Amino acid sequence: MARSAKTALVLCLDVGFSMSNSAPGQEPPFQQAKKVIQKFVQRQVFAENKDELGLVLFGSDNTKNNLAKDDQYQNISVHRQLMIPNFELLEEIQNDVHPGSQQADWLDALVVCMDLLQNETLGKKYERLNIVMLTDLNTPSSPDQLDIIIGNLKRAGITLQFFLPFPVDGGGSNPPHGGKALSREQQQGLEMTKQVMMSLDEEDGLEEVYTFSDAIEKLSVFKRVEKRPMAWPCTLTIGSSLAIKIVGYKAVCEERPRKSWSVVDAQTHQKDDIKRDVVYCLNDDEETEVQKDDTIQGYRYGSDIVPFSKVDQDQMKYKTDGKSFAVLGFTKQSMINRHQFVGTQVLKVFAPKDDEHAGVALSGLIRALDDLKMVAVVRYVYARNGNPQLGAAFPCIKEKYECLVYIQLPFMEDLRQYSFPSLENNKKYTPSEDQLSAVDSLIDSMMLVEEDKDGVKKDLFKVNHIPNPQYQRLFQCLHHRAVNPSAPLPPMDPWLTTALQRPLAVATRCQAPLEILKKKFPLKEVVKKKELKTSKELFGNSTEEPDAKKAKVDEEEDFNLADITEGSITQVGSVDPARDFRTLIRQKSLPFGEVCQQLTGRIEQLLGNKNMNYYIKCIPCIQTFREQSVQVGNADHYNSYIQSLKTSIPVRGLQEFWDMLVQDALTLINKDEVEGSTFSSHDAKQFLTAGEKKEEVVAAVVDDTGDVDDLLDMM
Amino acid sequence: PEMARLVHASMAQWNDYHHEDEDVDGEERDESGVDYKSTGRDSLVFLVDASKEMFIMGEDEEPSPFDMTMQCVRSVYTSKIISSDKDLVALVFYGTEQSKNPRNSFKHVYIYHDLDLPGARRVQDVDGLRGEKGAQVAGETMGSGNTNLGEALWCCSNLYSDIKLRLSHKRLMIFTCRDTPHGGDSERDRQARTKASDLKETGVVIDLMHLMKPGGFDVSLFFCDVVSPPEDEAELGLQMEPCGKLEDLQKRVRAKEMKKRSVARLNLCLGEGMNVAVGVYITALQARKPNAIKLYRDNNEPVRTKTRLYHTQTGSLLLPSDTKRVQVYAGRQIVMEKDEVDVIKKFSDPGLELIGFKPMERLKLHHHLRSAVFIYPEEEMVTGVSNFNPFFTMCSVRNVFALCKYTRIRNSPPRFLALVPQKEEVDDGQAQIAAPGFHGIFLPYADDIRTLDTPQLPTASESQVDKMKEIVHKLRFKYRSDAFENPVLQQHYRNLEALALDLMAPEHIEDLTMPNVNMIDQRLGSLAQEFRDLVYPADYNPEGKTAPKRKPAEAAGGTEKKPKVEMSEDELRGHVQKGNLGKLTVPVLKDACKQFGVKVTGTKKQELIDALTAQLTK
Repeated sequence: MARSAKTALVLCLDVGFSMSNSAPGQEPPFQQAKKVIQKFVQRQVFAENKDELGLVLFGSDNTKNNLAKDDQYQNISVHRQLMIPNFELLEEIQNDVHPGSQQADWLDALVVCMDLLQNETLGKKYERLNIVMLTDLNTPSSPDQLDIIIGNLKRAGITLQFFLPFPVDGGGSNPPHGGKALSREQQQGLEMTKQVMMSLDEEDGLEEVYTFSDAIEKLSVFKRVEKRPMAWPCTLTIGSSLAIKIVGYKAVCEERPRKSWSVVDAQTHQKDDIKRDVVYCLNDDEETEVQKDDTIQGYRYGSDIVPFSKVDQDQMKYKTDGKSFAVLGFTKQSMINRHQFVGTQVLKVFAPKDDEHAGVALSGLIRALDDLKMVAVVRYVYARNGNPQLGAAFPCIKEKYECLVYIQLPFMEDLRQYSFPSLENNKKYTPSEDQLSAVDSLIDSMMLVEEDKDGVKKDLFKVNHIPNPQYQRLFQCLHHRAVNPSAPLPPMDPWLTTALQRPLAVATRCQAPLEILKKKFPLKEVVKKKELKTSKELFGNSTEEPDAKKAKVDEEEDFNLADITEGSITQVGSVDPARDFRTLIRQKSLPFGEVCQQLTGRIEQLLGNKNMNYYIKCIPCIQTFREQSVQVGNADHYNSYIQSLKTSIPVRGLQEFWDMLVQDALTLINKDEVEGSTFSSHDAKQFLTAGEKKEEVVAAVVDDTGDVDDLLDMM
Repeated sequence: PEMARLVHASMAQWNDYHHEDEDVDGEERDESGVDYKSTGRDSLVFLVDASKEMFIMGEDEEPSPFDMTMQCVRSVYTSKIISSDKDLVALVFYGTEQSKNPRNSFKHVYIYHDLDLPGARRVQDVDGLRGEKGAQVAGETMGSGNTNLGEALWCCSNLYSDIKLRLSHKRLMIFTCRDTPHGGDSERDRQARTKASDLKETGVVIDLMHLMKPGGFDVSLFFCDVVSPPEDEAELGLQMEPCGKLEDLQKRVRAKEMKKRSVARLNLCLGEGMNVAVGVYITALQARKPNAIKLYRDNNEPVRTKTRLYHTQTGSLLLPSDTKRVQVYAGRQIVMEKDEVDVIKKFSDPGLELIGFKPMERLKLHHHLRSAVFIYPEEEMVTGVSNFNPFFTMCSVRNVFALCKYTRIRNSPPRFLALVPQKEEVDDGQAQIAAPGFHGIFLPYADDIRTLDTPQLPTASESQVDKMKEIVHKLRFKYRSDAFENPVLQQHYRNLEALALDLMAPEHIEDLTMPNVNMIDQRLGSLAQEFRDLVYPADYNPEGKTAPKRKPAEAAGGTEKKPKVEMSEDELRGHVQKGNLGKLTVPVLKDACKQFGVKVTGTKKQELIDALTAQLTK
């Protein structure tokens, strides 16, 4: 049976005028208190539990409560009765709760809250009744009723929490941090608060008094909804004659959000307006649709496709006959490699809590394994027809309890045994003493576990204390979108960003060692010229480089990788002629002229297709051709090719392509660029434009001679 | 079959990893991340010597080199079928009497299987070449004749060039036990070297799987010029010993057969401007049964499924942009664009960001979420290795792990990894058993750790612990991670194999996950009883259900499963009047129905109650 236990809680917010007072530059207590309430309600809304919540304002301009009579219980307003909180409440708090111009006694407000709780919970079952008081205690209160109130709270089993703008112990006449000294009323109120809380709970009463700022910080973290751990009762067996009753619980498991996104129509936002439809079709040209009933199930077995019906499969498949936690044997802990753990959970295995004998027996096993530094290798089956797992049960002895920790181990099929070149026996890369000591001091400066002066070890970065940032961000955005449907998503909460970064102390400490390390690592000096750019990419701060430069680096890297992976290029291929051309020129394995000839061959081949896509591919070829020719200092091949290309343009109808060349200013190579060239820079430019005029004429001629279809095509 | 099984199914379903978590958000699903479409197919050619020497049995009934090779080929075939069913494999023999190749232009070269996907039939073919009978078959169909390795290599290079698909990784393995295949014919030697270098130039990696021969196999005589240079110098020494055992050969083939693929190539950022390029690999990941495919009933051809979104009202097809995403909380729909849902998951650019270091003992055993990853410097990048090395070495020397923030792809939320240095380990045969690099252990967030109520129970006494130690001692064994096969997967593939080959029944599998109860009982002898006497009272039954009510039933041991609680009519009427029949259990109600002759049609509790009430209020 599910627990019907729920909480009834009344938020009692002081909206009196003093709540708006604050020291310059500080957020008024009212705003802080409102934030606390918003964050709290938001958390409740997303938790979607059955807890009920009421809201009482005091110091409000209006009066609305059952006890108000004559001049009693004035300026106290029950804003909302006990209800399951929802987004409407959140919106009301955001839009309708404002600071008032009155004052009201917080003790009176407390009485109203108690009355509300008692009336509305009558006859229903609640696990807990709670009142949350948010006030600056800045109204005079009469303490005469205090004992009666405390008595009533106790009798009704109502618990109380206080949220104040100042800390309860740092109060007195000393001014709280940055603020002004407490007023006489506040001092008196604080004394009364202490009195109430201590009489409700002598020892820990004061722990239920919080400051606004603390609360905001704590409530910023979305708390996941606690799942009740599911018990998995089973029997641990060793052979046929030794059995120990056990209960397993999931101890570590990747928590997933409870809800997932569903798809709706963009206009109506209705889920029902969308239907997902799966059709089956044959692999033929017509994509003939077939009915689902005309399909059967099958599996691939390499090149074979094996029809295998569900019925046959169920009959032939591997079956298990029930849950199991059977020991296959014991092995040394050192034989189990932690990096080979598989599966997505860790189980903790105890004896049932009411079974002392099982407890003793399991304890015997746990302690024996712990002493011997061994583990049990077990066959684990969750339930009948569940897949069997192989796993290790490690002994775990804590101060408060003992258990086995079960983690799944791989099957042979799960392992992929890659071998990698040796790092240590690699003479080329043996690190120098200098480098090692630089890393050594880096490690020193970046240790996250340190000892304080009392010898207590402190961990500066506990991952298991960080809430999963994915869900924090998700709920932040969900909440924001829920109350501001048309606003863009908010930026990431700063606390979350900070929580995921190197702790500030460490970040500061490691600056100097990092600088030293940078100097000790190979950069320009050691690396050959060719690798310079890749190394920069690897070891430089690439994000700070301008994009253009980075793009070039990328291209270079690409280039080098291609060199390695493609094996040696022996001719200008059709896939990337420009690249091949460049590589061949650099390799110098073939005469320059021959490589040029290969390239022009490819260009001609591409141009033969008379298609824009091929033209686009030719441009970089010609660009590279030109570039490399200039670099090599031989303009003859390029210039003569471009000249002959130009003469063939009209005949071949390549005007479109020629225009592209003109646009990219792919002129002839001039004397200034390469000594051997016969063209001046003026001539070279002239060559292109001169062509243009002439081309127009010729083009017209071509058009005239074209047949009707061509003409129509052009219209 | 025993040995074959070792490799059989070796790396099943790496591609199907994303079925593991049915994650609707689609995040982090492709951890295996290898996109074969964009990288092309892997291909592997087995070039096997079929000379007489290959058929000579070893001492002590050791299989012949040819037999060993066929076992290897078979296991690669089956493992390809299961793990990478898109890879192409070919089997070519050289030094044969018969020739079989397109146009038969190459003499003494026999293409047994050309470059294609392996299937059940091919596995069966290879099976036919195994053992004594297989040797006979091989002798009849191919025979042993002249050797011209150059021609054989040429023939293989044609196999590659005839493939119209894009090949990403091309490998050729030569299996032979002859170090001078041409017996000193220097012209043929030269020809073979030239052809080999042609092949290498087109990107084919040539490996030598040389087998034991009397007097030793001298690689330097000929083959050193044929094979591809090793990945690194260290490996050079390792591979020079010929294989004498099938296991060694299989290990060697297996290490080479798979192309290492990284799931991500990232920068490990030590600090501002200090990046080391690394690759992220997966070395252990649960293999799963592949998804079934749908076939058309009439011809058993696979059908394609098309998923369409359409508007219920208008019937018009919807584009993804015509939809939005919602979640409902407290009755309110919260709407986001698909892009927004994605971008919410973005925290930082892909990479590994060093946070700091912690002593190794801070790594908790039970902080386990999923399979670890392996981090190795990018091999192509010289600076990757030289900058990685000092970092790696010092982590190992200082016995610390590096805590890193890991963002795998653009929109994947960060996870924290403990980078644990792994030193290289080699076995007696100089084969690598642990690769050097970092293991990346995924660490849990606060949400991932559950709070448990731990029971308070008495602990065992020293004598009880000592007795258990004796038990543990008796049942010690040497665990090896590759010793256990997944019986579910094995059974599945055995079934498919049987169906594909029309076998009467699938080959029997041995379920290694089952405890060997007889052996355990035998080894324990009286120890189990002694321990029980020490920890359990005489009347305690550790195997009974947790609820004690079962006990009397078992004690009775009769044919009755449950003791029948007869209820008097008065008692029952009392319940009916008070209206609290609902407090009785279903079996009791059923018994009551029987007892009073009430006929019930259903078995639902309310139906039983209604029937009883109707009967007894008559």
